[in-house]
Amino acid sequence: MPPNVAPLDLRDFLCVAPAVVLAFWGLVVVGLDLGRFRRLETEARRLACGRATLVGVGLALGSALALAWIDATAQTDAPRLVALFGDSLGEYLARTDGLVFFGTVARGLAVDALNVVFLGLLAMVVWMSTAYRFTDDQGEYYALMLWATVGMMLMAAAEELATLFVALETTTLCLYLATAFERSRRRSPEAGLKFFVYGSVSSALFLYGLSLVYGLTGTTYFDAIGRALRDGGEGLAGNLAGVAALLLMLAGFGFKVSAAPFHQWAPDAYEGAPAPVAAWIASGSKVAGFVAMLKVFAHALGPWSHPSASVMGPGWLGVVAVVATASMTYGNFAALVQTDYKRMLAYSSIAHAGYLLVGVAAASVSADGAASAGAMLYYLIVYALANVGAFAAAVWLARDKGTEAIADLNGLAGRSPLLALAIAVLMLSLVGVPPFAGFFGKLYVFMEALRQGPSDARIVLTWLVAVGLFNSVVSAFYYFRVMKAMYLREPSDPPLRPARSAIALPIAATAALVTVLGVASEPLVDVCRSIAVPMLTASPLESPTD
Amino acid sequence: MTDDIPLNWYLYFSAAAFAIGLAGVLLRRNAVAVLLAIEIVLNAANVNLVAFWRYGTPAAGSGPMPGVILALLVIVVAAAEVAVGIGLVLLCHRRWRAVDVDRYDTLSG
Repeated sequence: MPPNVAPLDLRDFLCVAPAVVLAFWGLVVVGLDLGRFRRLETEARRLACGRATLVGVGLALGSALALAWIDATAQTDAPRLVALFGDSLGEYLARTDGLVFFGTVARGLAVDALNVVFLGLLAMVVWMSTAYRFTDDQGEYYALMLWATVGMMLMAAAEELATLFVALETTTLCLYLATAFERSRRRSPEAGLKFFVYGSVSSALFLYGLSLVYGLTGTTYFDAIGRALRDGGEGLAGNLAGVAALLLMLAGFGFKVSAAPFHQWAPDAYEGAPAPVAAWIASGSKVAGFVAMLKVFAHALGPWSHPSASVMGPGWLGVVAVVATASMTYGNFAALVQTDYKRMLAYSSIAHAGYLLVGVAAASVSADGAASAGAMLYYLIVYALANVGAFAAAVWLARDKGTEAIADLNGLAGRSPLLALAIAVLMLSLVGVPPFAGFFGKLYVFMEALRQGPSDARIVLTWLVAVGLFNSVVSAFYYFRVMKAMYLREPSDPPLRPARSAIALPIAATAALVTVLGVASEPLVDVCRSIAVPMLTASPLESPTD
Repeated sequence: MTDDIPLNWYLYFSAAAFAIGLAGVLLRRNAVAVLLAIEIVLNAANVNLVAFWRYGTPAAGSGPMPGVILALLVIVVAAAEVAVGIGLVLLCHRRWRAVDVDRYDTLSG
């Protein structure tokens, strides 16, 4: 049987331009580091590498914004694109929906918006990386961060399981290495190895689940899997291979988003990794993981969510509910006793994974899935922003103290009141105190979970919301410990030095953003809802029949 | 295809390989042995992919991405993973003079 495959449309590369730019710029940074910057002093070389990387992130951001403009114009004023770019390219760009690369990668405004989020966060992470010296291999470090982001962007855009798997591996392989980069300290390689062992085992489990799904449905495309399962009828009842596939894929994603009981790597990896790397694991890779999880579970495996009438009956809603409850409860209670700031943030990120899983569960069973998914995306974005800011504070501690205990923040309010206020804002947003964005994120996610028709799924979701609310109260205790250290304790020796822009700017910018996005949350929520629609419905423009 | 080995045999074989690999990950403490066990799990999935491709019927709209291509991608990913893994094991070995994952105990709590 000869393969009847259409030739690759090279214009498809335009639709992933930000990823292409970043992948290429990683090579540029390594080349510059080994070439031009080689003769510089260590300190100057470090800064030069950081600035060169920022240029690349800026270029990628520019291309992402340009694509967003093109895709927005395509929806409103398509003839203009034809006039600007000529007939063939203009008409190609004016296609408002659809997939590229044989239907494996999504394009359009939703992808562009997520790329802008990734690149904005990456710019802050790269900038805070320039604040202190944790490695001498600067070029390689920045290149790995860029390539990890390429993986994240493709992971969030993937519409097919094999593409998703390769993108996921690109991300995690780069992050394993970046975690182990602080070679002068024992804990960093150890964290890298632990991250690697847990990570590669869970991606192997994910792959085995993928192979079973391929066997059961005959395809790896999300949309085609969803159609095959809907036609299949009886769902998961008595389907051993289906149950195994589902649980294995859940384990893979659970690792990626650090949900209990797949979380064991997270505290060690966060504590051992250099602070900027931990920031990127906690924000970027989490955003990508949840977007991919949403697509796979709500779009592809949605028909398996709860086909039967009983609450814990065949279907994954009950399993996800258990994982969400375990993550919220375990994460919050374990965070209460932590003294290390980064380790505390790790447990807090486990807890937030639990809240977000409530959103995934709601999005898959809701009559209006896009609204639930949009609420979850909003939560995800504001959570990532607050986390990047919180880790910028960890960078500050690492630079001046060498350790990252919560007690190292003692008396910060007296020395730099504005930044202490900004950190307090970030903590309040993570707790979910109004008027900050974290509150509205939780509000929307929980409201969407409660806004269900009377069904058994509603009972599960109502319980999940109750557990989530209880956990939000518990989480206040450990976030308030950070504020107590800053405002009520005497400063410890040696005091923190002034922050400089590389640390102060990410903290201030994220604090300002979570405030603004909280006070005026409607625009971003509307955007999130509209970009969630193609995520849950994207299908190839033309389905090959032969 | 009637005289071929039935599909089930491949699936039993891959399930067995998967179980062996998983047991290896959970029971072995040597980091290199864990790496080997992960490879076995990945290859179990590969056997599945190729067997399903050979015996299954592609679904409508499944596109030009058959299981053999996925298996090739997985082989590439597995090679990259081993390269990274061995690098990390070497890095830890230099510090601890040991490759047992139990011995790395700076981080806990």
